[in-house]
Amino acid sequence: MDNGMEGMLDTYLFETNSLLDRLDEMLVADEKIGDFSLDDVNEIFRIMHTIKGSSAMMEFGSLAEIAHHIEDLFFYIRDKGIDSLDPQHKKELFNLMFRSEDFLRGQVEKVEAGEALDTDLDSFSADINNFLKKISGAQTEEPAPPEAPAAAAPPAPSTDNLPDDKEAVCFLHVYLEEGIGMENLRAYMIVNAVKECGIDFRYYPENMESNSETTATIIEEGFFMAFKSEEAANKASDILRTQGHIRSYELAFLPEEEHAAPDPVPEKPQTAAPAETSVPEKPAPKPAPQAKPAQSAPVKQNLISVNLMKLDSLQNIVGEIVITESMVTSSPELNQLSRDAYDNFMKSARQLRKLTDDLQDIAMSLRMVPISGVFQKMSRIVRDMKQKLNKDVRLTLIGEDTEVDKTIVDSIQDPIMHMVRNAMDHGIEDDVQDRINEGKSAQGEIVLSATHTSSEVVITIADDGKGMNPDKLLAKAREKGILTKPESEYSKKEALGLIMLPGFSTNQEVTEFSGRGVGMDVVKKNVEAVGGMVSLNSDEGKGTTFTMKIPLTMAIVDGMKVTVGRSIFTIPISNIRQSFKVTSDDIIRDESGNEMIERMGSFYPVVRLHRFYNINTEVTNLEDGILMWVENSDRSFCLFVDELLGEQQVVVKPFPAFLNFFELKNFGCSGCTILGDGNISIILDIQSLYSAALENSQ
Amino acid sequence: MSEQLNNQELLDIEEVETDDEESSSIERCLTFESGDLILYISTNYVIEIINNHSITTLPLMPPYIQGIINLRGQILPVVDIQQLMGKEESDCSGQTCIIVLDIDSVSLGIIVDSVRQVIDIDLKNVKPIPLKRQQKLLNGMVTMEDGSVFMSIDCQALATPQ
Repeated sequence: MDNGMEGMLDTYLFETNSLLDRLDEMLVADEKIGDFSLDDVNEIFRIMHTIKGSSAMMEFGSLAEIAHHIEDLFFYIRDKGIDSLDPQHKKELFNLMFRSEDFLRGQVEKVEAGEALDTDLDSFSADINNFLKKISGAQTEEPAPPEAPAAAAPPAPSTDNLPDDKEAVCFLHVYLEEGIGMENLRAYMIVNAVKECGIDFRYYPENMESNSETTATIIEEGFFMAFKSEEAANKASDILRTQGHIRSYELAFLPEEEHAAPDPVPEKPQTAAPAETSVPEKPAPKPAPQAKPAQSAPVKQNLISVNLMKLDSLQNIVGEIVITESMVTSSPELNQLSRDAYDNFMKSARQLRKLTDDLQDIAMSLRMVPISGVFQKMSRIVRDMKQKLNKDVRLTLIGEDTEVDKTIVDSIQDPIMHMVRNAMDHGIEDDVQDRINEGKSAQGEIVLSATHTSSEVVITIADDGKGMNPDKLLAKAREKGILTKPESEYSKKEALGLIMLPGFSTNQEVTEFSGRGVGMDVVKKNVEAVGGMVSLNSDEGKGTTFTMKIPLTMAIVDGMKVTVGRSIFTIPISNIRQSFKVTSDDIIRDESGNEMIERMGSFYPVVRLHRFYNINTEVTNLEDGILMWVENSDRSFCLFVDELLGEQQVVVKPFPAFLNFFELKNFGCSGCTILGDGNISIILDIQSLYSAALENSQ
Repeated sequence: MSEQLNNQELLDIEEVETDDEESSSIERCLTFESGDLILYISTNYVIEIINNHSITTLPLMPPYIQGIINLRGQILPVVDIQQLMGKEESDCSGQTCIIVLDIDSVSLGIIVDSVRQVIDIDLKNVKPIPLKRQQKLLNGMVTMEDGSVFMSIDCQALATPQ
């Protein structure tokens, strides 16, 4: 495929996915109130219409077909009003719609993966059509327009096998291409395309969309469209030209004298017809999308979609600009300028600084997207699981508008999904009576919330289910042999933390929704991969809360540069509480000589970076160097370094893949950055440094 | 500072031509010295040769990982193959340089004492190393016409740290 086609495919995928997201959102919202609003019916109709049109254009038959059936369904509903459906039908309709959405998504995923699309749609489209019949059958007094005359007049072969239609003046006889499959449905699609243009006509065989036996007839004899006037027929034949899979078609007039057709020769084929037969290969955009521009144009959005790669490189370049700028403004040559010249320079430099700061803010905000997309998907999961597990649970979403870096949104979706599933499956009680006995309301609740702090997003997933029993967890861990110290030494928190170890799964059997071999350890790994952390708290009988803390953006960090020996380290400013000098009197030692220091009434351990990292330095006396009081969440300690170099914004670069083997991330190094002078500084991760230096030290 | 040589230039250094045989077993290789060995590596893996680069050491690494360098904005790990082969740390003389390799899209640099030239080696002449010990890094040897012996570096072993 050429580039143009690729670009179209990208646009198509983006558009279709956003439409499906919108559909999902509406369905979930509507199901909560148990009814479709009039606007939503229209909107779903429009969505399906657009998907059908664009899918047909891209020649994704299965998508176009299913979308088409749903469109028909909603056309009917829109026509009759949603209130004509009884509650039972509505419920079925929701299920049908969710199924359809899944089907369409599945197909889109196949398109994305470049796999072949499903071709066997009969059973699914039959389901939709059956439903349509069911709800239309409920109102027999209002049959679809073509039914009345058709019922009375079965297609009796006339001179040219023309169907018997008393009102028709002329017919279009259409033959489809051979071997395209599902001829009846394709014929129906063509019929519908013509209908959409406001032409009034009937078609034969009239039940082709639902009766697959008509397929053979259509293959052999083609199908007919009957028009009341020649003008309408000509208009329709124009539309036929834009449709795919048509081998040929001809205009035939009814050889009846009272119509006084100008040329009553039925055999006369439309001479133009054969010439059109080659057109359908690459049909022009279907007329459908343009047919109702007023309807299918929602509020115009001032949005464009940009390739994420471009944003990434923009971000990188902006980062480099920021660094280069500070390199220029701190260059030693400036000292040789005269005082006036220097002042002037600094004035311009401040201006530049302001601009680059703005630029950086904007570049960063470009990548921020609201987390609501992820949350919305969870509503859907909860809804599905609710039915499957037969648990009554409501999902409360808080802070959906919270904006997070796009790459982070992508990488936390699976972890959140996993935790929501866990909460549904294991968290909420299986038996409602258990809840009532505990004094909780019968309906379970899962709260999904997102909030901002200055530098991170905090996402919590809380259920009010049965909670976890630390003793049970310990027993399980012992069974699996993953305990690292005597059971009695585990605090409650540590015991709960066991579920995040690899090879730990509290549920014996694998269920459909959770426990598929990927456990909380994978969640933890995924979250840590984006620089975040997971913690949990659980009270037996009250519920479990998972908390994920994720940095807002991973690309640029405000850091403090410090030296140890010849190495330069960068400590994220957000982790620093204080830096100070000490005298040897301030130091307190425990029995094995571990150093501690008192700050604001509490004692904190001292980690000598040069000792922990085995770096040669002349500064080994605590009085000569500097202590940095750092903290991350609940872990707080003091780092001993040689010297402070100053504050700088740095662009975080990951370590080369080659070094992944050494798991630097577990030893306090989260990445590196290139400094203004081209040197490399290692960015410290206070969290893992604490674990490595203090928790696991023997 | 960094002197870039692409394969074509490397070819020019060595003005020997080897158009005699068009056999597919001929491989163009870069030869270099490390310790007292002469090693070679297929030029398919070689990106460039740089020298005078300041290496940032990483904490808690095995000694053969010398550290990382900033190569025009790209962070590159640097391996001292001499230590990987169980010898002394290579001393940084004026000749010392870093060969930048790309082995199945794993990028890394190796420190060598000096780079020699690009030659064509007939893979048919490459023999396994007879000593069935655990050679960590070498996987073949070849005798040249002048009697000198070149050793082949096992790129896969190099690209997978252990």
